[in-house]
Amino acid sequence: MKDIAELALDVAVSSGASYADCRVVQRGIQALAVKDGSFAAVSSFEDEGVGIRVIVDGGWGFAGVDRLDSDSLGEAARTACRIARASSRLRRQAVRLAPCPVAVGEYRTPFERDPFEVSLEEKMDLLIRADEAMASVEGVTTHEASLEFVREHRLFASSEGSVIEQVLVQSGGGMDATATSADDVQTRSFPNSFGRHQVCAGYEAIEGLDFAGNAPRIAAESVALLSAPPCPTGRLTLILDGTQAALQVHESCGHPTELDRVRGDEAAYAGTSFLTPDLVGRFRYGSEQVTIAADATTPGGLGTYGWDDEGVAAQRTVLVDRGLFRGYMSSRETAADYGWLSSGAMRAESWNRIPLIRMTNVNLEPGQSSLEEMIATTEHGVYLETNRSWSIDDRRLNFQFGTQNGWEIRDGRRVRLVKNALYAGRTPDFWRSCDAVAGPSEWRVWGVVNCGKGQPSQVMHVGHGAAPCRFRGVAVTAAS
Amino acid sequence: MSLRAPDDLLALADSILERVGRDRAEVVVVEHEEGLTRFARNQIHQNVAERSRRLRLRLMGDEQVGVAEVRGEVDDLPGRLVAAAEAARRLSPPGDVTPLPRPDAGPDGPVAHSAATAACTPEWRADQVATVAAKSAVAGLEAFGAIQTSLTHTAVANSLGVRRHAESTAASLVCVTRGENGWGYADQHHHDAARIDAEAVAEEAVETCGRNQGAIAVGPGVYPVVLSPYAVADLVGHLSDLGFSALAHQEHRSFMRPGERLMSPLVSIADDASHPGGMPFPFDDEGVSTRGVTCIEEGVCRSFVHDSATALRGDVPSTGHALPMPNTFGPWARHLVVSSGESSLDELIAGCDGGLYVTRLWYVRDVHPLRTVITGMTRDGTFLIENGRLGRPVRDLRFTQSIVDALADVRGVGRERSIELDEGERAMLVPALGIGRFAFTS
Repeated sequence: MKDIAELALDVAVSSGASYADCRVVQRGIQALAVKDGSFAAVSSFEDEGVGIRVIVDGGWGFAGVDRLDSDSLGEAARTACRIARASSRLRRQAVRLAPCPVAVGEYRTPFERDPFEVSLEEKMDLLIRADEAMASVEGVTTHEASLEFVREHRLFASSEGSVIEQVLVQSGGGMDATATSADDVQTRSFPNSFGRHQVCAGYEAIEGLDFAGNAPRIAAESVALLSAPPCPTGRLTLILDGTQAALQVHESCGHPTELDRVRGDEAAYAGTSFLTPDLVGRFRYGSEQVTIAADATTPGGLGTYGWDDEGVAAQRTVLVDRGLFRGYMSSRETAADYGWLSSGAMRAESWNRIPLIRMTNVNLEPGQSSLEEMIATTEHGVYLETNRSWSIDDRRLNFQFGTQNGWEIRDGRRVRLVKNALYAGRTPDFWRSCDAVAGPSEWRVWGVVNCGKGQPSQVMHVGHGAAPCRFRGVAVTAAS
Repeated sequence: MSLRAPDDLLALADSILERVGRDRAEVVVVEHEEGLTRFARNQIHQNVAERSRRLRLRLMGDEQVGVAEVRGEVDDLPGRLVAAAEAARRLSPPGDVTPLPRPDAGPDGPVAHSAATAACTPEWRADQVATVAAKSAVAGLEAFGAIQTSLTHTAVANSLGVRRHAESTAASLVCVTRGENGWGYADQHHHDAARIDAEAVAEEAVETCGRNQGAIAVGPGVYPVVLSPYAVADLVGHLSDLGFSALAHQEHRSFMRPGERLMSPLVSIADDASHPGGMPFPFDDEGVSTRGVTCIEEGVCRSFVHDSATALRGDVPSTGHALPMPNTFGPWARHLVVSSGESSLDELIAGCDGGLYVTRLWYVRDVHPLRTVITGMTRDGTFLIENGRLGRPVRDLRFTQSIVDALADVRGVGRERSIELDEGERAMLVPALGIGRFAFTS
């Protein structure tokens, strides 16, 4: 790998690049799925290629190629330089990069059981047992379970002298049970919706999920939801489970604290941000209960690594400190605009994409409450579990979320299951209404595997540490 | 860099099928080359090119199926592909394995392809950006967006004799413009880059942005609306995902009730992969010829799109709408065509007094799939319709609305249509629509 990178960098520099970096990536993905007791499939995906990013005449260029012979690498490096020259025709100011120490090192995801060494029989057996357990519940119409494992071997090298090798391993899985009636469809998922929950870890993470034990529960809940009443409507006290809190953090804090959005780099696609730099240090984003940090060192998080894809070391960056807006996730280029250093949040989906500012692990720090205490001290409200729908405007202010499951709370007790719950609000008003976050024992790192950004589109796996949390006076209603 | 000729891709697929030595296997080869130039604040800030090849092998036997896919020129590619697929197949539990399709008599065309697009360079893309940036700068605005050109060679072969190939191209220019107090939007998509008119895109975005300064707030409520083709594409794409798939119907998740009128007689929606005004492509990921399917005919629910699996279950022929098989997602309608009407855009607006004109929808998500209720925001130009004309701009609003209910209340359909591409690379040929009631919730 190192030879490949050196060759590409040599050609780039000799072709006029004032800066160049090269990422050699080998990626393997194994996916297994079982559905409705009859469909079963195992698939594997191997991916290998090189991405070369350069600055020539002050403009950026990038070329990705999946052929690793010297001719193809040389051609790709020259193509990147040609593209950069085209870019430089439409730049008022040359690209500037914030300084970054030259890094030489290695990082490997720690794990107990290599998921690629676990037999397919063992994995398939787990899925079949989960699928059968869901099928055993009367009224369930479709049910499926899946696993996915990723191993990524990356080498980063730059013309500044950095050479970094990393091996990242992910394990994930999930299951869905759906019940239907003539006029309704209800789905429950475990441990999270939209496919699966995933972490940077080995197969031990899957063993800890207890698929078979939770399968009958979610299947029974999907059936029960068909006859459940709609979620109550009004300004209510809202308690979110950890998975929904994680997505709320993702959409309303993670994205607006990406500094490229503030610059307008994503204005035509992902959008901008309401959190402008003049607000740093003086804007009350949330209540005193709310501290949120981007932390690429969180054990098990999908955004955990040794260095980002610009060679900047993994670090923790406070975004919101006890309610006060404090800072951003940034890159070397965006940080340079403000005289800052990069926060080490540049990540690329694979060799064929440029790194962009992406969430690492954006964590809502644990508080001191508990789910039990929050419910016990709620007069009238709802406890909502597992995301079903999410939408937010391009500045990340006006949001509306829906969940699969809900419980109405009266006088400190869960009194009944409710369905089709929606809640809506404006980001700072919502986080300012947060009056409790559960403590470390209920805090867990969740994985989001469908975060889209950039053109060409990149899907990133990001992490969120979160625990159940409570909000007062939120607009809650039911979809109808 | 250049892509292999289609014959070479088929030869590669054949060599893998020979190596498999089994009578039930399928190979899909996709070579892809693309360039994309992004701009922000009238400058190019990201500029990329990519070339890659994907090889996918589906192996079947003993009621088992295994799939392996490789992207990249790895050592002993055919051997690794076959070994990985066979390992996956051998360890899959026996189940319902959908048989491979046999060759059909479908033609290998029409295909959206243009030599001009295939020949596009970074310098050409920069020229288009320069045009957009100059127009915006003259108007005192900033432009943001992307121009993309791509060339794709696709080959599908299976051991029952299916041998298909196609060379396709696509070009897109998307532009958002920003003024002191508002935004504008325009886009164009075509398989022929020479048909992308950067001047026209810039003029439209600048014009919308100029109108959309100093927006006023209007309260939530139910309004009559005129949706631009950009907004209609979002609506129709979601409608398709919520019900046009035969798998959704078989799993009782679809809103479609065949034979029943659910929408206005003015609404007809088909999936037509051969429509010359769209982005035609002749076959699906199984190599089955893609047939036209009428999903909604004058407001009445008609048919679903099928892949081999849903076709087998429904005892009907596949319509050629498969995604890579096997999968749990089901077939996908990716060439949607909404029938045009008789109204000009001005006539639609004139017929919607007291309503809102919506340029674009944003972050649209399902809220109640069976009832086709979605939510999202308006973006980049929402206007009051006053005295039969576009009036004052209004701040972006959140809508929460059943698509079927909206399409049941269509009052007028535009006679001009445009090609829109959604994020899943689905092409849609859509007109503007006038709708009687559309619910804005915040």
